[in-house]
Amino acid sequence: MLAYQLRIAAASLRRTPVLSALLVAGIALGVAVATTFVTTFHVMASDPIPDKSRQLFYVQVDNWTPERPWDRDRPEEPPDQLSWRDSQNLLASALPTRQTASFKADLTVHPASRDERPFRALTRVTRPDFFEMFEVPFLYGGPWDEAAEADRAPVVVLDEETNRKLFGGEDSVGETVRIEDRPFTVVGVVAPWSPRPKFFDVTNGALEDPEALYVPLSLTPEMEIRTTGNTSNWKPWDGEEFADFLESESIWLQMWVELPTAEARQEYEDFLAAYVREQQAVGRLTRPVNNRLRDVREWMTVSEVVPPEAKTMLIIGLLFLLVCAINLVGILLGKFLGRAPEVGVRRALGASRGAVFAQHLVECEVVGLLGGAVGIVLSAVVLRVLNRLFSEDLELFALDLTMLGAGVALALVAGLVAGLYPAWRICRVAPATYLKQQ
Amino acid sequence: MIRMERVSKVYRTEHVETHALSSFTVAVERGEFVAVMGPSGSGKTTFLNVAGLLDVFDGGSYRLDGEDVSRLSDRAMSRIRNEKLGFIFQSFNLIPDLDVFDNVDVPLRYRGLGGRERKSLIEEAIGTVGLSSRLRHRPAQLSGGQQQRVAVARAIVGRPRLILADEPTGNLDSAMATEILTLLEEINAAGTTVVMVTHDPELAARAPRQIHMLDGRLMDFSRDVPAPLFDPSRPRLDPVLSV
Repeated sequence: MLAYQLRIAAASLRRTPVLSALLVAGIALGVAVATTFVTTFHVMASDPIPDKSRQLFYVQVDNWTPERPWDRDRPEEPPDQLSWRDSQNLLASALPTRQTASFKADLTVHPASRDERPFRALTRVTRPDFFEMFEVPFLYGGPWDEAAEADRAPVVVLDEETNRKLFGGEDSVGETVRIEDRPFTVVGVVAPWSPRPKFFDVTNGALEDPEALYVPLSLTPEMEIRTTGNTSNWKPWDGEEFADFLESESIWLQMWVELPTAEARQEYEDFLAAYVREQQAVGRLTRPVNNRLRDVREWMTVSEVVPPEAKTMLIIGLLFLLVCAINLVGILLGKFLGRAPEVGVRRALGASRGAVFAQHLVECEVVGLLGGAVGIVLSAVVLRVLNRLFSEDLELFALDLTMLGAGVALALVAGLVAGLYPAWRICRVAPATYLKQQ
Repeated sequence: MIRMERVSKVYRTEHVETHALSSFTVAVERGEFVAVMGPSGSGKTTFLNVAGLLDVFDGGSYRLDGEDVSRLSDRAMSRIRNEKLGFIFQSFNLIPDLDVFDNVDVPLRYRGLGGRERKSLIEEAIGTVGLSSRLRHRPAQLSGGQQQRVAVARAIVGRPRLILADEPTGNLDSAMATEILTLLEEINAAGTTVVMVTHDPELAARAPRQIHMLDGRLMDFSRDVPAPLFDPSRPRLDPVLSV
């Protein structure tokens, strides 16, 4: 029966091409706007690591000045990053299953070929646990091991694009690449990976791509790797050496721990509290104990990865679609009632009210799907423009399968909203009324 | 086949009440060919609409093919229309977008028959009305007589027990009208009950039984009218008015 109803719907739409185009355009416009806003919201609000987001915790310790809170608007909030000292002390704990502190840097890569110019590459300076904690996929090789981390070994993991640039995309594990002042051995190549949002470092841009290189955190003091991410201070540090900076209260590292159970979390919270009290005893961390362990979702919320404007735009987008759909109610009603004599004939020949209702709803959904298809294409164009506005290289907002599904669902809902009343009205038409008028 | 007892039907607007059927009582037996006559506004079409379950009535009782249809759901009435009744209208009422085959197919679609069975029934019905060579023609490509033959094919394709024809020859010339009536006679001869509303006395005269309506009431001039059909409380009608 559905095939038959689709045939009737197609014939009906062909009969009134201008009206049909108007209906499709109405839905298309609404779906385009709604899908665009839903997609941007989805990119910002989605759980980037759904199977582990409840086990990964972002660590916060309040090392700010006793004179004022870190955030005057949210005085209960501790600072959003850690100092080198605190991160190193906390990393000494054996409680977490895995843990890492990391930061963003900008290092110079010297290609082996003299014909190629050195280039700057964004680098994540981190620990080997980073890769398994955040489920980083590997194309070749894997992360460096704890021994390499402890030995401050010059090892590097490349992203796929950098590997293509340096080694033509071949398996480069074991190859050497010069970074800054020393040769690094490639131990792994990351497969294309771009979690949205970039949850492990929202402080430096939740919509940015992951870095191109990954090097051991333990190399930081020796190579004097400076962060290119956000750094906050509440007092100038003493001395001018890099080691002085590392000893300062400047905050610039993001720390994550993996705690698979509630007990493990509690244990780590106790450890954090004890650590702060210990530091207070030696004159540091003079503010009241205010530690936070937040899982990925909580941290995304607190960090306002999804800005309130995105939610507002999402609501506006959906309301716009609703208005488009409601505007089509009148057109569809007129179109359907104009076909009342045919409906009368069909009723006389055995079509029940339900069959007439379903037939007209199918027609509305065909309009919805056609409009949805056009709307999704329009939305893809708008998202491409948005991507250009954010960056030349990044493709932040893309219609993945989920969003395509959402677009289709929105189109179906719009078709339903637009068609429900007209279909109900036409199915209530008494069959005898129009049979003499044909 | 049809047994209506004191059926009433009133059309109401804000200011006017029109009694289309007033205590209307009639019986049509299985296999009969009945011509219904009467002046415009006498209630002929309302009678056909009520008989065909296209319109509800306000009072009285109605048994169709032995079944009380007074309080049926829409779905049940639709099923009866689809399986037991066939309709032929004055203005053919073919669906302009569909060709002959698909027009005749419409009632079978709502019966949910399979493709092969539908095709066989459709080809048989179209063959009966002599339009096998016009299967893929649209209504606009056919003459009025041919369109009405398609309507006849559509009415008989589901092998109904009762055909209700509302002035089926009203839009046709006399030759075409005779042709359609002959078709209806053949259908009736095959056992299907036919009730035909007509204004044409010559065509009506070919029906074995004629009933006349006036002001929503029945005047039956056939020789063997069942006694209970007449309401003795009603005044006699002037026969002139019934023509």
